[in-house]
Amino acid sequence: MRIDSGSVERGFLAGEAPPPAPGTNVPSFVREFEGWLESIGMRRRRPDQVGTGDFSVAVFDDQTPQEERMAVDRGREWERTKYDAGWGAVDWPEQFGGRGLPATFAAALRAAEHEWDLPRRNELFAVTQNMIAPTVREWGTSEQIEQFVRGLLRTDIMACQLFSEPEAGSDLAAVRTRAVRDGPDWVLSGQKVWSSMAACAQYGEAICRSDPSVPKHAGLTAFLVPLDLPGVTIRPIRQMTGGACFNEVFLDEVRVPDALRLGPEGGGWRVALTTLSAERSDSSSLGAGTVDKMVALARHRGVRSPALVDEIVQLWLRDRVLVLTNERHAAEMRAGLEPGPQGSLGKLAATMNMRRTSDVITLLLADELIADTGRWGTFAWIEQVLGAPGYRIAGGSDEIQRTIIAERILGMPRG
Amino acid sequence: MADLVESPEQAELRATLRRLFGGRSACLARQALEGDGHYDAALWATLTQKLGLAGLSLPERYGGSGYSRADRAAALHEMGRCLLPSPFLASVVLAAETLLATGDEDVLAEVLPGLSAGTTLATVAYREGPGYDCPPVRAARDRTDWRLTGCRSFVLDGCQADLIIVPAETAETESGVSLFLIDVAAAPGLSRRAMRTLDSSRPQALLDFSATPARLVGDPGAGAVAVRKGVAHTTIALAAEQAGGAERCLEAAVEYAGTRQQFGRPIGSFQAIKHKCADLLIQVESARTAARYAASVSSDPAIDEDLYAAAALAGAYCSAAFFTVAAENIQIHGGIGFTWEHDAHLYFRRAKASEVMFGTPLEHRAFLARHLGLSA
Repeated sequence: MRIDSGSVERGFLAGEAPPPAPGTNVPSFVREFEGWLESIGMRRRRPDQVGTGDFSVAVFDDQTPQEERMAVDRGREWERTKYDAGWGAVDWPEQFGGRGLPATFAAALRAAEHEWDLPRRNELFAVTQNMIAPTVREWGTSEQIEQFVRGLLRTDIMACQLFSEPEAGSDLAAVRTRAVRDGPDWVLSGQKVWSSMAACAQYGEAICRSDPSVPKHAGLTAFLVPLDLPGVTIRPIRQMTGGACFNEVFLDEVRVPDALRLGPEGGGWRVALTTLSAERSDSSSLGAGTVDKMVALARHRGVRSPALVDEIVQLWLRDRVLVLTNERHAAEMRAGLEPGPQGSLGKLAATMNMRRTSDVITLLLADELIADTGRWGTFAWIEQVLGAPGYRIAGGSDEIQRTIIAERILGMPRG
Repeated sequence: MADLVESPEQAELRATLRRLFGGRSACLARQALEGDGHYDAALWATLTQKLGLAGLSLPERYGGSGYSRADRAAALHEMGRCLLPSPFLASVVLAAETLLATGDEDVLAEVLPGLSAGTTLATVAYREGPGYDCPPVRAARDRTDWRLTGCRSFVLDGCQADLIIVPAETAETESGVSLFLIDVAAAPGLSRRAMRTLDSSRPQALLDFSATPARLVGDPGAGAVAVRKGVAHTTIALAAEQAGGAERCLEAAVEYAGTRQQFGRPIGSFQAIKHKCADLLIQVESARTAARYAASVSSDPAIDEDLYAAAALAGAYCSAAFFTVAAENIQIHGGIGFTWEHDAHLYFRRAKASEVMFGTPLEHRAFLARHLGLSA
C-alpha cells in the first residue's frame, strides 16, 4: 500500500498514543506484580464457586460505621504496602512514587488484584487516590503538592468531597456555603451533602462561595478542609439501600488557613471540574463483573426461554463492549494526562448498563428477587437493583452527563 | 490481548483515503441508486492501481502488500463513512478470505494475484435461495471435471464477478460440502440476474447453474469450514465499515442541528436533540471499539480469542449501532432528511442492508448464547 503522509484526521475522541513503556508490556508487568504478591505471602482467591460461598453484587457499601472504619483501615494498610514497594501509583511520575507508565498498566494491576485475596478498595479510596490526588497535583501550590499528593496516593491522608448542597445538586455552581476572608484565614459556613464516607476521611475538598457579587461560576473558591477542625459536624444519611455511606457535613464558622486554599481565589469551579472529570472517568468501571456473575448464575440455573437468553446476551454484549471501550480509552490516554469530558461517556454507558442489569435480573429471578427463598445468588440481587439508581445521580446525573457529552465533546450549541 | 488503539500508520491511511474520497462517494452511492448498480470503474482503477488498495492485506507472495486485517479495517472504516460502492468487500474480503481458508496453494497462486491487482473480481455464492423454485446446488463429477446444478440467491456482486466460488454437496461423497470455482468466462449453463436491492450501492444477484463446469478448490468436504471462516472475516470487515458509517451519520446530524434554526435558535441547543446525540455517541464509540477489537483478533492468531465469537460480537453490536444512528440521523434532520435528494436515506439503506447481509444481530447473539453456554 502506498500512502502519502499528511495530517492525521481523527474522530471525536482524539487521544494521543502513549509512549512505549521502556522494556515492558502489560502482560509481563502483571506477571511481575503477581510474582511480588506471591513473594509477600498473598494468596490467589479461589475462583467464584457458583452455587456456594459469599455472593454480593452490591453497588454501595452498606456497612455499619464500625465495619466501614475497619474496612478503610485494612485497605490503607494494604495501599501503603503496595505504594512502598512501587506498585501503588504506577501511572504517576516517579516524583510521586510512581513509574510514569500509561494508565493501561494501572488498570491492569487493578484488574489483577481482583483475582487475589486482598482488602477491598472501597469508594473512599477511589475518591482519595483517583480524584483528589490528581486535583491537588493540578491546582495545588508546590507546598500543597509536597504536603498532600504522596500522602493521598499512599492513603496516609484520606479525603472526601464536600461538593453538593441541599440547594445545589445538578446546578453545582449554585453552592451557598460561604467562605469569608478573615486575616490569614477563611471562615467557612454552610451545609454540604452526599459526602461519601466523610466519617473516615481526614480532609474534605470543599467548593465554597467566596464572592457573592460576581456571576455564580466566578465566585467560587476551593479548600482542603481538615475535618477535625472545630465547627465541623458529620452526620450519616441513610439511603434507600438501607446503608448509610453518605453524609451531610455541617460547617459552622470553620476557620481554615489560606495555605489550604486549593487553586486561585475565584477559581473553584475549574478545580471542581478537574475532580468531577476524574470521578466520571473512574465511574466507567462501575458495576464491573456484575454481568459476568449474572451469566454464571444463568448458566448454573439453566434458562429455558430463548427470549430471556437473548436479553442476557444483549446485556453481556453491551457490558463486554463497555469493558473494551474503557480499555481502549485508557490505552489512548497518555500517562498522567488529565481526563477530560470523555469521562462522561464512560460513566453514562456504565450507569445505563447498571439499569439494564437490574431489568434483566428481574426477568431471570422473578419471584426470587422480591422474596428471599434462601437460595444462593438470588435475593442478594436486591442490593444491585436498589443501588443502581444512586449512581445514575451521583457524580452528575445521567442527564447532566448527556449535556456535557453534547456540548463539550460534540460541540453542540449551549441552551 | 487485543490491540484496540489505532496505529499512526492506520490513521495516516484513513486520512489519505478520506482526502481521496473527498465526499464524492456518497454521490457514487446515489448514482448506483439511480443508475445501473455498477461500480465506478475509473475510481476502482485508481484505488487499485495507484494505491494498491485491493491487495492491501493479501499475502505478498500472491501479489498483495501483506498488511494486517486491522489495517484493512482502517481502510474499510473510511469506505463506510462515504458509502463507497466497490467490489472490495465481495472480492478481496469474502472471496479472498474463503480461498485463503482452503489453503489450496495452486488455486491461490493462480487467482489471488488478479484479486490483489483488482483486475479480477470474485465472490462467493453461499446463500441458499428461498422457496421451492431455487433448488440447492449439487456437484456431479463429469469424468475429471465437476459440473454444478442448482440455484443461489443474494450473491453479493454476483453479476459483476469474474470468478464465483460455490460451496456445494457432491453426490458421491458423504463428506459434506466441497468448494468449487467457476470462471464466468467459460461457464455454459450459468445465468445471472440482478436482484432489486434495498441498497443499490451493494448489488446482489440470483445465479442459476445448469451443469456449469467448475473446479474443485481445497479438500473435498472442507467447503463449509472455509466459507464459515470467510464469512466471519467478512462480518468483521463489514463491522469496520458500519462503525465508519455510524460515525459519519452522527457527524451529519450534529452539523445540521448546529445550523438549523427553529423557535429562534439552533435545534442543537435543545436538550431533546442534545441528549439523543449524546446517546448516539456512546453507540458510535462502542461500535468503533467492537470493530477494532474484532479486527485485532482476526489479525493476530496469537490472541487467544475465538474468531467466530469476535465476529458475532462485532456483527451484533455494529449492525444495531449503525442502523440506530442512520435512523436517528433522519429524525434529527426532520423533513429534509426524508427527501430523495438528501443523503440520509443512502446511509439508512446501507445500514439496513448491512444489518442482515452476513447474519442478523439476533443470529449473531444466538451464536454468542451458545458460546457463553447459555443455550445448546
